Amino acid sequence: MANFFPRWTNYLAIKIVFCLLVIGGVASAAYWWYLTPEYMRQGYQPVQPVPFPHDIHVTQLGLDCRYCHSYVQVSSASNVPTTQTCMNCHQQVQKDNPKLWAVKQSWETGQPMHWVRVHQIPDFAYFNHAVHVNRGISCVSCHGDVNHMDVVYQHEPLTMGWCLNCHRHPEENLRPINQVFNLDWKPSSGESQQQIGTELQKQWNINPPQNCAGCHR
Amino acid sequence: MKRIFHHPPEPATGRRYWRGLEELAETPEFKSWLEREFPEGAAELQTDGVSRRNFMRLMGGSLALAGVGLTSCRRPETYIVPYTKSVEWLIPGKAVLYTTSMPRRLGGMPIIATTFEGRPTKLEGNPLVPGYNGGTDLFAQASILNLYDPDRAHFFQENGTASVAEKFEAYLKQVRSELQQSSGASLALLLDEQWSPTRDRILKKLQEDFPQARFYYDEPLGNDEVNAAVEALFGPDVVLRTNLANADVIVSLDADFLGLEQTLDNIKAFSARRRVQGSKETFNRLYSIENRFTITGGMADHRLRCPVSQIPSFAVALANKVAAATGDQGLTSLVGQFKTTVSFDDKWVTECANDLVARKGKSVVLLGNRYPAAVQALAHAINGALDAFGSTIQVLSAPKIKGGTIQDLAKDVKGGTVKRLFILAGNPAYTAPADLQWSEQIQKQVPEVVQLGYSENETSVGVRWFVPEAHFIEAWGDQRDPNGTYLPVQPMIQALFGGWSQLDLLAKLAAVPSGLEAVRETFKVFAGSGDFEEAWTGFLRHGYVADTAYQASSAKPNLGNISAVLPSAATLPGPVSASAMEIVFAGDYKVEDGRYTNNAWLQEMPDPITKLTWDNAVHVSPVTAKALGLAERDLIEISVNDRKLTAAVLIAPGHAEYSLTFALGYGRERVGRVGEGTGFNAYKLRTTKALYFATGVTIKLVQSDAHKLIRTQIHHSMEGRALVREGSVEDYEKNPAFAKKMWMDAEIPPNISLYSHPPLSAPNQWGMVVDLNTCIGCSACVVACQAENNIPIVGKDQVERGREMHWMRIDRYFSSADGDMSNPHLEEDPEMVVEPMMCQQCENAPCETVCPVNATVHSEEGLNVMVYNRCVGTRYCSNNCPFKVRRFNFFNYNDRSVLDKIEHGLPGFQGKQQLILGPLASWGMDEISKLQKNPNVTVRSRGVMEKCTYCVQRIETAKISQKIKAGVTGDLSLPTDSIRSACQEACPAEAIVFGDTKDPNSQVFKQRQLAQGYHLLEYLNIQTRTSYLARLRNPNPKMPGAAKIGRINAEHDGNEESQEPAAAVSPTSNQPKEGNA
Repeated sequence: MANFFPRWTNYLAIKIVFCLLVIGGVASAAYWWYLTPEYMRQGYQPVQPVPFPHDIHVTQLGLDCRYCHSYVQVSSASNVPTTQTCMNCHQQVQKDNPKLWAVKQSWETGQPMHWVRVHQIPDFAYFNHAVHVNRGISCVSCHGDVNHMDVVYQHEPLTMGWCLNCHRHPEENLRPINQVFNLDWKPSSGESQQQIGTELQKQWNINPPQNCAGCHR
Repeated sequence: MKRIFHHPPEPATGRRYWRGLEELAETPEFKSWLEREFPEGAAELQTDGVSRRNFMRLMGGSLALAGVGLTSCRRPETYIVPYTKSVEWLIPGKAVLYTTSMPRRLGGMPIIATTFEGRPTKLEGNPLVPGYNGGTDLFAQASILNLYDPDRAHFFQENGTASVAEKFEAYLKQVRSELQQSSGASLALLLDEQWSPTRDRILKKLQEDFPQARFYYDEPLGNDEVNAAVEALFGPDVVLRTNLANADVIVSLDADFLGLEQTLDNIKAFSARRRVQGSKETFNRLYSIENRFTITGGMADHRLRCPVSQIPSFAVALANKVAAATGDQGLTSLVGQFKTTVSFDDKWVTECANDLVARKGKSVVLLGNRYPAAVQALAHAINGALDAFGSTIQVLSAPKIKGGTIQDLAKDVKGGTVKRLFILAGNPAYTAPADLQWSEQIQKQVPEVVQLGYSENETSVGVRWFVPEAHFIEAWGDQRDPNGTYLPVQPMIQALFGGWSQLDLLAKLAAVPSGLEAVRETFKVFAGSGDFEEAWTGFLRHGYVADTAYQASSAKPNLGNISAVLPSAATLPGPVSASAMEIVFAGDYKVEDGRYTNNAWLQEMPDPITKLTWDNAVHVSPVTAKALGLAERDLIEISVNDRKLTAAVLIAPGHAEYSLTFALGYGRERVGRVGEGTGFNAYKLRTTKALYFATGVTIKLVQSDAHKLIRTQIHHSMEGRALVREGSVEDYEKNPAFAKKMWMDAEIPPNISLYSHPPLSAPNQWGMVVDLNTCIGCSACVVACQAENNIPIVGKDQVERGREMHWMRIDRYFSSADGDMSNPHLEEDPEMVVEPMMCQQCENAPCETVCPVNATVHSEEGLNVMVYNRCVGTRYCSNNCPFKVRRFNFFNYNDRSVLDKIEHGLPGFQGKQQLILGPLASWGMDEISKLQKNPNVTVRSRGVMEKCTYCVQRIETAKISQKIKAGVTGDLSLPTDSIRSACQEACPAEAIVFGDTKDPNSQVFKQRQLAQGYHLLEYLNIQTRTSYLARLRNPNPKMPGAAKIGRINAEHDGNEESQEPAAAVSPTSNQPKEGNA
């Protein structure tokens, strides 16, 4: 028989396989990079009905986190403040500022504010704020330096792996109990975070759950 | 090398267990059930209308339309919506507990309600109230679902059109002014039996305002006869309450004191006398004479099957014996006035009476509350002869407002004296005796009818005003518990649909303040000396007021006054026969008298005795069925005098011959989506002369195999395994550990396992002990688990396929003394045992090792943890579970409607029947149903396994609380017995004990030390954390047949001292043979 196939088909199969591998590799890499919580969620900064600036209220004015997020030490959920809490000051302060119009509306009409949720984990995972905050984990470990944010964005990925990382090594995030709500605290020059954390873990008998029932109920 | 267990074949004779009659019949149907846990075609939709091809076509089309993929890659926004004004005492995420109580016929039941953000999700008993230590029954557990019933009445209605509360208030004012002129002569109030001081106070005010107004009480399962008898014997304002703590011997004449006629303290007291914690000294003895198996009959040591119409005759026979033995003159002369033609096994009656008399002062005879007043009086006379009053029966003085019965009301309406009828409770159009013809004759004759109803029902036709009723959780009120302790009824949530409670309506009619002020006004009587506000706050906080129980009355039974009630039943009914049977209109364990027909949890809960769901049927004994040529699922026509009704047949082991039991409460015509099309209406056969039973009944077969009865009872067979271990008290005395080495557990092979034992390193190791001796099988735990863990209902056709989602089930076994399978009378007179089954939390769990995605793992605390989000639905874990306690969510039972009804024409069903339409059903849970869900437990979706978790959410909540309390100290130890699982908390008999097995002070530690404890299937080396305490029976050695009672597992004994003939069992059959690969 004469040459049935043209010469260029000799290497066609290898080229196809090679191309598929490259495409597969690129797709996987893209998935791995772009479709992970680290990319999709970290940095998420939705537009809020009122551009509430934490940096002004916390850093400049000196409000403690718990003035608004009042139940964080007793409840699983750290609450977002009610309109009444805002109006405690804003009945007088900046009361004609147009940025606060939505809050004033809410107070007068009785309709609640619809804040856009930034940090969210699936419903089948149960997180309890009170137990973390009472046992030496600061807000900044999970929420980043909120006291310097003008509009809140998600600082950490909040994935299960990320949670487990701290549950397995709590010494990386433990801090003295009176510094939990001091988001700017850094270990003083004498000791490292590791040293302080390990010491506290021993003292306080910190033993975070690592089995599934700890969070999946 | 695979270990092969050689289970000995079930011996042909000797003691046998059997689950259902199909098992005994060895029908091919049953065999195929056995082979597969989920029978044929379990995973496919099997309908005529929707074939797989059509289904794929439909789904394919809709997927394309939905535009799967690239419509939007943006993350959907969700919102946090706080309150506008802060709410006092409300912390989002934390439960707040309040006390309240549930109004019940014999007295309020103390309750603690768990509320999240102002909505109640779960009801528990109140352990602070004396005599209770917590505990509820299944109606209390299910009533939370009633609160969130989508079929509730939403608005006021005037003459059928929607209206508002203000207009009704104006109407009431007008009514009041008209009544003042006639001093209430035309007013009739129809009420339910309740023990509420505030209601009494308001009714008294109404009596003062309108002296000629009349009150009537409508309780189909109620106590009219008892009240009449007590009043004749003791005088007015006296109630009798049993005190079973003092009772050594109890004879129950169809008195279901553990079932429908229960009060919680009775169950507790009875169970306390059956609990064995080392010695059998205080073990009581129960004789039960009844026509059908009841919960009480299941606990009985001696049981006699006797048609209900003959129980009065039995009472006479017993009275004769007791009178002869005690020489009581009053009893002798009284019993002489009854005439009967029925005789009983003389030895049975004699020895029973002797046992009663031997323990005079510590014995009691209880009679069912629906027998005629004359028979009640006879029973009280027997009790008097036994010196029961003051000891096992408390005579208490309790004020009552008197009222007539529904028959009296009908008479007064016919007489033309009733112009205004306020139906404030009940559903007389459905429940009134059929010969009154309530809807056609009575209600229509009253010019103005006002109905207070929880939902629109049969009575709502043609009423002038329909007022939506508030649930007891939404309203203020008060109650007295059966012993008289004063309890609050506190609202947890504002009336969801602006409904009014009964007290609200009465108060408005009486022009007195209602609600909170009314209760505070009544409280002045109970507040005692001291600060009123402090007393009030304490009252609401603790849920009761101390020392408010009814005082003992000095009234003595006056048998001379019997003539007031005697003429009604001096000649007792004769024997029953094939041509003159009796029919008994029993209350139902699930819907009671029909008030809970629309409660989905109760409909789906298997009946404690028959395991029937979503239906009722006529119970017939196996012998009678054979004699009349009936089989289960046949449709028969029942003729009671001139009334006829067609209903399905259910074969009931342990039923009396020629007696039919027909439960009330089903077959309702106007009820919500849940109750629609369930069962047959027994009220249609019930007449004024035959309120409890009717004689002279005949039946006729209409169609055989015509109506499928969906029972969960034949899903899992015991097949000769010693799952329930039982013995007599003598067995226990001889060898307290008799249960440990039974059957295959006699020689447990060493544990050679491929898999490593899970590291159990945590300081708390959870375990549970279930005491089969005190468990009565009431199934309150099943409903409590459903409420706590967001377990969905699945509907009738899915239950048929074995997909009911209950994490706990109560297995009910019948056992026969003589296990000779060829004996035609085998099924006639069995004993009954019950066994609660939930995930046994095995340490070497067979389910954990086979999950391909590691969705079920073992925690360091000994829990077998189920991770829902990881499960892909392989179902291998359920396959491997030896107890079949894992439930799989086949369709999206939560988000898709399970109550769709279509006419699918499958054999065995007529008319519209439930059929789950899966993805073709409408999407979305009713908003109101979402309110009941427990926020601490995941709501599972399709394709995920679930099972009992030992209430891990409660465990974690307790551990978190302790950590928060510990703060910077290192003290993480949990207080002893601080965690109670939902089933433990609900159990009225305290049969379930959960706790930390490592804590030597905990109850569960002590229970695990008891000798009669055993683990299920211990020879499999799965090392279950749940263990059971063997059931004991206390037969009277002098009674006939005593030698065969409680000898159930005799041939399964590992030791040589078995009393059963060994000939039928080959000597080596109990030993596992040498296994080879």
